[in-house]
Formats: sequence, C-alpha cells, structure tokens
Amino acid sequence: MRFFRRSLAALLPLLCLVAPISAAAEDRFATGLSQQLSTSRSLKLDDVSYSELTSAPRDYHVAVLLTALDARFGCGLCNTFQPEWELLARSWAKGDKKGESRLLFGTLDFEDGKATFQAMQLQTAPVLLLYYPTIGPNAKTSGNNPVRYDFTTGSDNADPIHAWLSRQLPADAPKPPVVRPTDYVKIATLTTITLGVISLISVAWPYMLPYIQSRNLWAILSIIAILLFTSGHMFNHIRKVPYVAADGKGKVTYFAGGFQNQLGLETQIIAAIYGVLAFATISLALKVPRMADPRSQQIAVIVWGGVIFGTYSFLLSIFRVKNGGYPFYLPPF
Amino acid sequence: MAASQSLEGPGVRFFFEGESGRNTRGLLRLIILCTIAAAAVASRLFSVIRFESIIHEFDPWFNFRATKYLVEHGFYKFWDWFDDRTWHPLGRVTGGTLYPGLMVTSGVIYKVLRFLTFPVDIRNICVLLAPGFSGLTAFATYLLTSEMSDSPSAGLLAAIFMGISPGYISRSVAGSYDNEAIAIFLLVFTFYLWIKSVKEGSIMWAGLCALFYGYMVSAWGGYVFITNLLPLHAFVLTCMGRFSPRLYVSYTTWYALGTLASMQVPFVGFLPIRSSDHMSALGVFGLLQLVGFTEWVRTQLPSKQFQTLLRALVLIVFALAFGFLVLLTVSGTIAPWSGRFYSLWDTGYAKIHIPIIASVSEHQPTAWPAFFFDLNMLIWLFPAGVYMCFRHLKDEQVFIVIYAVLASYFAGVMVRLMLTLTPIVCVAAAMALSQILDTFLVASSPEDPETKANGSSKPNGNANIHEKIASAIPESLSSTKSAVVGIYTRLSKYVIVTACSIYLMIFVMHCTWVTSNAYSSPSVVLASRLPDGSQHIIDDYREAYYWLRQNTHPTAKVMSWWDYGYQIGGMADRPTLVDNNTWNNTHIATVGKAMSSREEVSYPIMKEHEVDYVLVVFGALLGYSGDDINKFLWMVRIAEGIWPDEVKERDYFTPRGEYRVDDEATPTMRNSLMYKMSYYNFDKLFPAGQAVDRVRGSRLPTEGPELSTLEEAFTSENWIIRIYKVKPLDNLGRSHQEAGLFEKGGKKKKASKRKGARVLRVE
Repeated sequence: MRFFRRSLAALLPLLCLVAPISAAAEDRFATGLSQQLSTSRSLKLDDVSYSELTSAPRDYHVAVLLTALDARFGCGLCNTFQPEWELLARSWAKGDKKGESRLLFGTLDFEDGKATFQAMQLQTAPVLLLYYPTIGPNAKTSGNNPVRYDFTTGSDNADPIHAWLSRQLPADAPKPPVVRPTDYVKIATLTTITLGVISLISVAWPYMLPYIQSRNLWAILSIIAILLFTSGHMFNHIRKVPYVAADGKGKVTYFAGGFQNQLGLETQIIAAIYGVLAFATISLALKVPRMADPRSQQIAVIVWGGVIFGTYSFLLSIFRVKNGGYPFYLPPF
Repeated sequence: MAASQSLEGPGVRFFFEGESGRNTRGLLRLIILCTIAAAAVASRLFSVIRFESIIHEFDPWFNFRATKYLVEHGFYKFWDWFDDRTWHPLGRVTGGTLYPGLMVTSGVIYKVLRFLTFPVDIRNICVLLAPGFSGLTAFATYLLTSEMSDSPSAGLLAAIFMGISPGYISRSVAGSYDNEAIAIFLLVFTFYLWIKSVKEGSIMWAGLCALFYGYMVSAWGGYVFITNLLPLHAFVLTCMGRFSPRLYVSYTTWYALGTLASMQVPFVGFLPIRSSDHMSALGVFGLLQLVGFTEWVRTQLPSKQFQTLLRALVLIVFALAFGFLVLLTVSGTIAPWSGRFYSLWDTGYAKIHIPIIASVSEHQPTAWPAFFFDLNMLIWLFPAGVYMCFRHLKDEQVFIVIYAVLASYFAGVMVRLMLTLTPIVCVAAAMALSQILDTFLVASSPEDPETKANGSSKPNGNANIHEKIASAIPESLSSTKSAVVGIYTRLSKYVIVTACSIYLMIFVMHCTWVTSNAYSSPSVVLASRLPDGSQHIIDDYREAYYWLRQNTHPTAKVMSWWDYGYQIGGMADRPTLVDNNTWNNTHIATVGKAMSSREEVSYPIMKEHEVDYVLVVFGALLGYSGDDINKFLWMVRIAEGIWPDEVKERDYFTPRGEYRVDDEATPTMRNSLMYKMSYYNFDKLFPAGQAVDRVRGSRLPTEGPELSTLEEAFTSENWIIRIYKVKPLDNLGRSHQEAGLFEKGGKKKKASKRKGARVLRVE
C-alpha cells in the first residue's frame, strides 16, 4: 500500500504535465482535420510542419507520404501514385468527418522537405510512413518509430494502401472505403466515341465492306499477330523489359544475354527475320511458279533462295548468342 | 515420289501408274507413317536408355501412384478414392478432383496385356505411355493435315514434324507420365474429327468428335481450349456468311453429346453449364439455332420486309440472351472465369491475386528463344503456311487461321501452352513446305512461253464487271492472281530442293540435340560429368525418399514445400501436408509461414499439424540451383498473402534490396526456419570461415545457424535433401531454446528461474 501511494505521488506532477500537451496535440489534430476537409486533399507539409505534426506526444495517427514529384527526379511511381493518394485521403476525410479514426494524411515533397529526407537517410521515393499515437488508448509502445509501407509490388493503386492502413489502425476505428468519383469526362468521351464509331460505320459501311471482306487484309492481320506473338511480344508486355540496354562500354546492345531474357528491340529484329523468311517462302511457293518468263523466274528463285539461306543463317547465329552451347550453324554467319 | 515419273521401264510403270500405282502409293504411305511413328517413339527414349525406366519430375509421381491404386483396387474404388495421406490433416477427395483419363487408359492397357498373358509391370506401361501416344499423335496430325491440303506430301511432313518437334517432346518423353501425354493426341484427333464432320455434315463424325471430346475432358484441364475454339470457329463461319446445314448438324451434335459426355467426369461435373469458361459454347449453340431458324424461314417466305424484320428479331434475341448471361454471371449463378484461364487474358492478374499460379515456372511468359528452341525452322514456315490457308478459304482453312492466332497468343503468355501451339505449327509449316516441294520436285518442266502457241490468258480480263472498289481489292490473294506455270530450269529445282534438304537436316539434328540435352532428364536423377568425362549419377532424391520409407513410421507426417509433395507420396509413401495439387492456398501458406518464420513461431505450427519430419532441398554444396532457398521468396509471398502482418517480403531483402544469404543477410532471413535448416552444420564441411554457397556464389557467415526445435535426421550424399526430425515437447516443460542452453552448460537465465517452491512428484 505504501508503495502504491508513493508512486501515485510521483505520478501526479507527470499527469499535470501531460494534460496541456495532450490539449496541444488535440489542437493540432483538429486543425489538421479541418484543413483536410476544406481542401479535400492530404496536408501539404514541409520540414517545419512535418516535425510539428509528428512531434512526440500525440494521440492520433499520421500517415505521411514522402515523395518526389518534381520532373527532375523522374520518379514515375511518385507521380502515378499521387492522385491515388489524394483520393484515399479525400475519401477517408469525407467518410470520417469527426475524425473518429484519428488519422491524418500528409504529403511531404522532397522539394519542401530536404532536411527530413536527409535526417531519415531516405534514398528512394515514394515512402509511406505511419506514425502511431504515443498517448491515448491506442498508443503503441514503439515510441516515435513509424511503420513503413513497402511499394515493392509497384502497385499504384489506393486499395492495397487502404487495406494496409486498416490493418494498422485499431479494430474499432471507422475505416471509410475508397470512393472513386465518377469520371464524367471519361463517360462523355466514351459515349461520343461510341456514337461516332457507330455513325461512321453506318455511313461508310458500303465502302468498308469490301475491305472487311478482303482476304488480303485478314491475311496480313493474322500474320502480323502471329509474328508478334511468336517473337515474344507478350513477354515484353508482361515483364516490361527495356527496349535496349547499355553494354557497359558506352554502346548499345540489341540482344540480352541469356535464354530467359530479351530486349524490346531484339524481339522486333526477330519478328522482322521471321517475316522476311516467311515472305520469301511464300514468294518461292506461290509467286515463282506463276512467273511466265524463264529468265526472271530463274533470277527470282536464286534471289529468294539466297534470302532464305542468308537470313536463316543469321537467325541461327543470333540463337547461338542466346544459347551458348548451340552447335548448329549455316555458313555465312 | 513425283520424281519417279522420270524413271522408265515397264516394271516401274506398273508400280506407279493406274490402279496398282495407287495401291503402291498407299502402301508407301503406310510404311512411311509407321516409320514416323517409330521415329517419334525412339526419339523419346533417351532418358530410359541413359538412366532407367523411371517416372520423371513431380506430377507424374502422383499419376503413377493413382494408377497403381486403380490397378490394385479396381475402378469403383478408384472413383470413390479419399486420400488421407496427402494434405494432412484435411485429406483429399482424390477420385473427384482429378482427370482420370490417363490412369484409366494405362489401367486398360495393363489389363489387356495381362489378359493376353504378357507379364508386364504397370510402371513400364506408365513410363512408355507418352512415347506410344506420340506415335498416334503423328498419325492424327497426318489425318488432320490431309483434310486441309490437297498435296500428298503435306500430311506426311506434318506427321514427322509433329513426331519429333521438341515442343511436343518436352511433355512426352518416356517417364513423363502426365495428362499431356495422351491429351495432345486427343486434342489433335478431336480437331480432325471436327473438321471431318464440318466438311461432311455428318452426325456420325460429329458424334465421334463428341466422344473424343469427352475422352479429352476426362484426360486434361486443357479441354477448355477445345470448348472455346470450336464455338469460335462456328461463330466466325457464321459471321463470314458460311453458315450451312453441315455446320449446324455438326455443331449441335457435338455440343449436345460433348457436354453430356464432359459432365460425366466428377471433377468437371456441372461446370459446363455453370462456369464462364464454357459459356461461349452455349452462346454459339443458341446463335446457331436462331440462324438456322432464319435460314429456314427465308426459304419459306421470300418477302423482303419479313426478312428484315426477322434479322432484327435475331439480333434482339441474341442481345437479350447475352444480357441475360451477363446478369447471371453478375448475380453469381454462373461462376466467373477460373483464375488460371482468366490470367491468360489479364496478364497481370495472377501476379497480384494468385501468387501460387504465378510461382510455377511453366506459367511464365515465353521469351522468343523458347519458341525457336521448341520449333526450330517451323516457326518461320508457320506464318507462310497460315498465309497459304487464305488461298482457298474454306471452312477448314478458317479453322487453321483461328487456331494459329489464338494458340500463338496463348503460347506467348504461358510457356506451358507451347504444347497447344505445336500441332498447328506443324500443320501450317507442313502445308508451306509441301507447297514448295510440290512445286520444285517436279521432273517435267513447262514449255518456253515463246514456243507456246498462246500463253495463259489475262486473269483479270473481265474486271470491269466488278464494282470499282471491289476491283481495287481482289477476291483472291494478290500473290495467286495469275495462273500457275511451273518451274523452267533444273538449276532452280536443284537449288531449292538442296536448300530444303539442308534445312530439314538441321531440323532433325536440332530436334535430336534439344531432346537429348534439354528434355530427357528425369529431374529425379541428376547427371553430371566427372573430370575424366565419365557420367556421374546424382541420386540424392531417391536416396532420401527411400531413407524415409525405410526408417520412419508409415504414418509419419512429412512437411516440405509443395513441389515435393507428390514425390514424397509416390516414392517415400509418407503422408504430406501439401502437394502439387494446389487446391488449398491457405494450407500452402501455412507451410510457407512455418518455413519462413522464426523457430518459436514455426514450432507450434508444426506441432499443430502433427509434423514429424521436415524435408528441405539444398543445393549449395553441389551448385544445384533448383533448391528451396531459391524458391524461398515464393513461400514468403504466398504466406504474406494470408498473414500480411506476420510475414513481410521486405524483411528478407537487405536495405539495398538484395536477396542475400551471407553475412549481410537480414536477421529475419537468418532466423527463418528454412535458412537454418538449409545451412545447419554446413560450415562444418569447410575450414573455419570458408563455407561457400555454390548456388548463390557467396561466402557464408562463420557462425552457422543453430537449431533448437529440430534435429538433423538425414542428409543425402550430396546434401541435396536434408531431413529434420521435429523434437517432441520438452519433458520439463521448458522451451527448446532454454533446453538447448542448458545442454550447452550455459548459465540459466534469470528470467527462466522458476518461482515458488519445488513440488515433489508423487506417484
């Protein structure tokens, strides 16, 4: 008992200290919230307001996005993610006007917060930090260390961020969903385009019909599609490979090393080679036997045969580059 | 064959002309086809000759186990099979969750051979099933191509292409006892029957087509490809104005019978009427009824206005039906597209939502070298062949074009679907090459045009009949406008024929080389070369599995990553937690979590699942790159999908974003169970501080990891497989860490000191 009384006595002055500070925190939260509601965006921070907002005794959460929006930094993800971030902040603030979830959204651009970036030794952007409250019922013992969200998946969507934030917040806090505003411009454009296409088709149908029924057109389209797909275009599309790469000596390489790798330009070269080979084959099979003049036919046979031979030899040589142990080749290359 | 016309003499004349000539050609054709089938089988036997008659890889081990079960217990037991030795403690309704076609096929072959008193082992049937069926596939390709082309050589060329092209061999070498082994034959043969039925408009062919479609459904999940390709073909034909009673008869027969047949497979069940994958077939079925009805009415009522009304009616009904379908899908009566199939269209979908699909290497997109590797010169003959289909664009050629474009797209998105592309590439390439050979392999030359009385008449003489625009765009292909003349000089013929022979030789050598080097390794047994050039067999997998089989209790549960589940079930005959039938993502994530967490977290998980042994694959000693540390990130990712707060992929990367195992590895990485199990005692093999990981090429920390909740039970010769035994709970109720410290003789930590008086144990 005695021990308890003594500790209470020791705590009393502390309690007196806490009260005004918590009032200050309350104040900061209220202004932040009202600002968020009035501008309907996240709080735009700089070095000073950042440290003020995240200063130690606080009874609210802060989610801060540290980003580099200026074109000089060339941060693609920062720029694509920014509207999603604002959308999240806006829908959260709208859905939770009283601030019951006690969460503020802030954005700190590198331009305004160089000192903060340096202090945190951040090398990359964007970085999303969540500060827990230090006092109050939801305080975390981890002190002033924020948790960090990983942008590893490269996702520029608000939904995973919303899910992550919801997990970090206490279970009973309201979590307003992300509300995407209706994109009237998009709807209008789509309607206009659809109507335009319909009217264009109805007007131009008699003129278009022969083209639609043209075998040559369909043949060309199918062959282009086949060439695209068989030369690995879908790989480029899914893996987002670079178009060309540097070889480290200041020059450009067209062919990526390794069997499981390729560059954008490389696939185009391959598609062109396949195209040339296929075209030469078609010429040999269909055009040459229809030539009435023996001399020109002879020349055509030699030329197309030579083209196939040379191109195929080139193709094999490229394949030997990709697959080191490949033993077969044809003479010129 | 055509060249033989130049030979003279009565005997030759007898054999190659008239009625007996036809017989001779038929006989030759048969002999050639048999030789092709023999070549197809022979080129798949590398692995049996080099290693032994053994089942390969992962999935085949399950199929093999299921076949053995079928042969032992009979068909009905197999149909109702509940397997309690996998997915412990859940079990798996195996009979209802597999495609039984493969097992039943080999079971029937086994019974027939036994009936004929051949003393044959079921394993040898399983091993040799795929090569055997590849011979049939070559024959089916011959039939299909012969329907497409008038050329006598196209079918034979297609057959040999199909027989030896690596794209198909990759899934059908001896020992690769997988669904694809018979499914490709069924695919090609179903397509042949479909073409035949569309051409003839006969119910018999369509019924046969439905029968083989049903067989295909029972054999492979890839049947969805047929389910969507045939309706697409019918739809395109209708759009082209090629609707005919033939099409109507064959499609409706196929759809009605085929759907009924497919619903007999328990795994498929009611999917054909309830899932989006199958809705296109139903939609086209409805459309054909409508179109058929209009066509019929048109013959009855010639009135123009009525036709317009009817056409509008058809459109409206179609739109209404489509809207109804969409409504059903949205309301959930019809299941949405299955994940695997959907990820083909939305290529980024799997990576985000179903990491387990994205983690499989055969679901990766295909880089161009893979196409060339698997198809060699066929890949550039392929577009030429497709172009030639546009010459006489009849029903069957339209099929080729659709199939070609769709299959190239699929093969580009997923490496595995190269398999469905290969048949059409072979058919199209054979059509192109046979066109060249038929043109240039003719002994007789045309007359010189000057000596001819009158050359070929101008082809476009009556062009003014057509409309102006229509004449600008020719009816036929631009390259086939004028009449065929032929090849004049011998030189041209020799040049082209020689070149073609060279290409074909290279093709054959390429196929042999690829098959021998890339596709004939069982991956259960690894081969390497010793410095003196002799072959050295690395047999760690079987060594470890037999150790499990002989030294552990038959009900001892083995935990491993899902890749090895089927092998453990098949070779070690021990219950597993997860296997390659990845039906329960959460269960897999549980194993992933146990592997990627600290021992304190993993131990309760393992205890809850009654795990007795943990198996890891470790390649650092040998430089075997397919080991668990390299797969580890997928375990982390899959676990993170379920427990995002407890497992974080970021924690396994260094601050600079590198995945490392050496001194700079993150604490999370070094404390994970997988890391500890892999590198436990590994440093003892080397002088102090010299331990090197030969896969990652990095030097390991001087201090090796310590394990407290597991003990090493077995490590194979080359350390590829390491098996750990899960320790039982400590007798004194301590945690294993404390017990370990106590054993070491270290001081007891103050925190672990028990409060309160000791209680004397009284019996």
